[in-house]
Amino acid sequence: MNDVTSTDLEVEFVERRYNEIAKILETAVRRDETKKWTFTDMLDHVFLHRALGIPIFLSLLWAAFQFTFTFSEPFMVMIELLFGWLGGLAEANIANPHLASFVACGLCDGLGSVLVFVPPIFTLFLALAILEDSGYMARAAFVMDRIMYKLGLHGRSFIPMMCGFGCNIPAIMATRSMENEKDRLITILVNPLISCGARLPVYVLISGVIFGSSYFAGTAVFSMYLLGIALAILMALVFRRTLFKGKPAPFVLELPRYRVPSAKTALLHMWERGKWFLIRAGTVIFAVVIVIWFLSAHPWAATQGGELIENSYIAGLGHAIEPVFKPFGWDWMAGVAIIFGFLAKEVVVATYGLLLGTGEEAVGDALVSMGVFTPLTGFAFMAFVLIYVPCVATLGAIWRETNSIKWPLFTMAYLTALAFVVSGLIIGIGSLLGFA
Amino acid sequence: MADFDSDEGRIIGIYALALGIAYLVIGMVEVFGGAGTVVPGDLFGGFALVVIAATYFNGVRGVVNGDHRGLSFVVGGLFLTAVFGFLYLLLMVADGLMFLLGEAEEFSALADFRPAIMLFFLALPLAYKVRELTQRVTW
Repeated sequence: MNDVTSTDLEVEFVERRYNEIAKILETAVRRDETKKWTFTDMLDHVFLHRALGIPIFLSLLWAAFQFTFTFSEPFMVMIELLFGWLGGLAEANIANPHLASFVACGLCDGLGSVLVFVPPIFTLFLALAILEDSGYMARAAFVMDRIMYKLGLHGRSFIPMMCGFGCNIPAIMATRSMENEKDRLITILVNPLISCGARLPVYVLISGVIFGSSYFAGTAVFSMYLLGIALAILMALVFRRTLFKGKPAPFVLELPRYRVPSAKTALLHMWERGKWFLIRAGTVIFAVVIVIWFLSAHPWAATQGGELIENSYIAGLGHAIEPVFKPFGWDWMAGVAIIFGFLAKEVVVATYGLLLGTGEEAVGDALVSMGVFTPLTGFAFMAFVLIYVPCVATLGAIWRETNSIKWPLFTMAYLTALAFVVSGLIIGIGSLLGFA
Repeated sequence: MADFDSDEGRIIGIYALALGIAYLVIGMVEVFGGAGTVVPGDLFGGFALVVIAATYFNGVRGVVNGDHRGLSFVVGGLFLTAVFGFLYLLLMVADGLMFLLGEAEEFSALADFRPAIMLFFLALPLAYKVRELTQRVTW
C-alpha cells in the first residue's frame, strides 16, 4: 500500500464508484437488447478517435468561427446603416453644437461602432450553444484532455476555457468546480488568454481592414482564437514547471448522449450569454464613450468642436504614449485605443470610431484609406489586444476567486510582457519572411 | 463474422473512397493556394476538407469487410460533410444578402458555390444508403 500514490487511490475510488453504478443500473434499468451499437457509439468511435479527434475538433471550431464571421456580416451592415442614418439625423436637426456633436459623434459613432458587433457575438454564442447542446462539447473536453494532461493542465480546465470564449469572468468562476488548488490557479491565470466575445469586434474590424471582406478575414479571426489557446497551453506548462509543480489530478467526465439541439434551447443559451454585451454597451461602454468623446472634442475652441482632433486632450495623451507602440508600427490612436481597452475590450473599436470621427460603417474604410495598418502590423495589433491585460472586471474576478491581490497583479504583469513579446515576434518574424 | 452483407459494404466503401479522394484533392488545392474562383485558397477550410477525407478513408477497409466500426467512420464523415455543406450554403446566402444591401458589387452564385456544397449533394445517396442499412441491421 505504501507505494500507491494519492493519484492512484483517487483513480481507484472513481473506478469502484462507477462499478457500483454499473451494478445498480444492471438491476434497475431495462435495455433495448436489439440495438447495442447506438448512433452515439458510432459518432464517439470517430470523434474520440486518437488521431482524428483533435483535427475534427479544430475543423468544427473553425466552422463555428467562419459561420460567425461571414453569416453575421449582412446584419452588421443593417445596423451600420441604421446608426449612420441616426447620426445624420442628429447633425441635421440638433441646433446646439455641443449636443449635436455628442449625439452624432459620441453616441452614434462611438456607441454605434460597438453595437454593430451584436450580430457576430450572438452568432458565435449560437454556434457554441449548438455544439454544447448537441453533446459535442463534452467530447471536445475529453479529446483535449489527452494533450492538456501531458502539458500539465487538468482536463476539467477545458470547460472553463471554453466558457472563456464567451466571457472570462464566468469562466474564472467556473474553476470553483476544480478541487485541486494548483490546477485551479493555473486555469485562472491562463484563462484571460482565451479570447472572449468582447475581443471579437476588434478582430472583425482589423481583419476586415487588412484582408477585406474575404474568407481570409475569417481565417485571421480564427487564428487569433487558436493563438489564444496555444498561448494558454504554453503558459500553463510554464506555470506547472515553475510556480505550481506537481501532476494534475485525473479527469473523469460523464459523456451525454448526442442530441439534435432544440432551436428554442439554443436561442435561449445564445440570449443568456449574449445579453451581457448589450448590458455592457449600455453601462460601461456608454460611460467610457462619453469620457473619450469629451477628451477628443475638447478644448472645444482648439478642436473647433471636435473637428481638429490633433489639438484635443486625447491626442496629447496619445502622442505621449506613442513611443511605446511606435516600434510595432502603430500610431498614437492605437495607443489610446489600447489604453482605454483596459476598461472593456470593445472600447478599442469605439475609440477608433470616435477618433476617426466616423460610424462603424466607415471606421474600416477610414483605417484602410489612412494606411494605419499593414497586414503585418494589423495582425500584431490583433494579437496584442488578445493578450494584453484583461479588462478590469476580469481582474476583479481573479482577485475575488483567489482571495489575493497578488494574482491579478501578477496576471497583469505577465500578460503585458507576453503581449509585447508575441507582437514583437510577429513583426520581427513576419518582416524576415518578407511580409509587409 | 461480418456485421452486414459485404456486397452492400463494398458499394458503401467504394462510394466513401470516391468521396474521400474528392475531399482530399480539393482540400489540398485549397491549402496550397486554390485554383481560380472555383476552388479558392483557404488554409483552414482546406484543412477541414482533408480531415473529412481522412475520416472517410479510415472507414473504407472496415466497411468493405462488413464491420460496423468501419461504418462508424462513414457516418462520421457524412456528419462532417453535412456540417460543412450547410455552412457554405449559409455563407452563400450571406453573400447574396450583402449584394441585396448594396455592399457587394456582384453576386455570382457560381463563384460562391464552393466544392464542399457540391460534395454535400453528392454524398446524399450515400447518406440514404447508410441510413437504410443502419435501420435494417443491428449489431
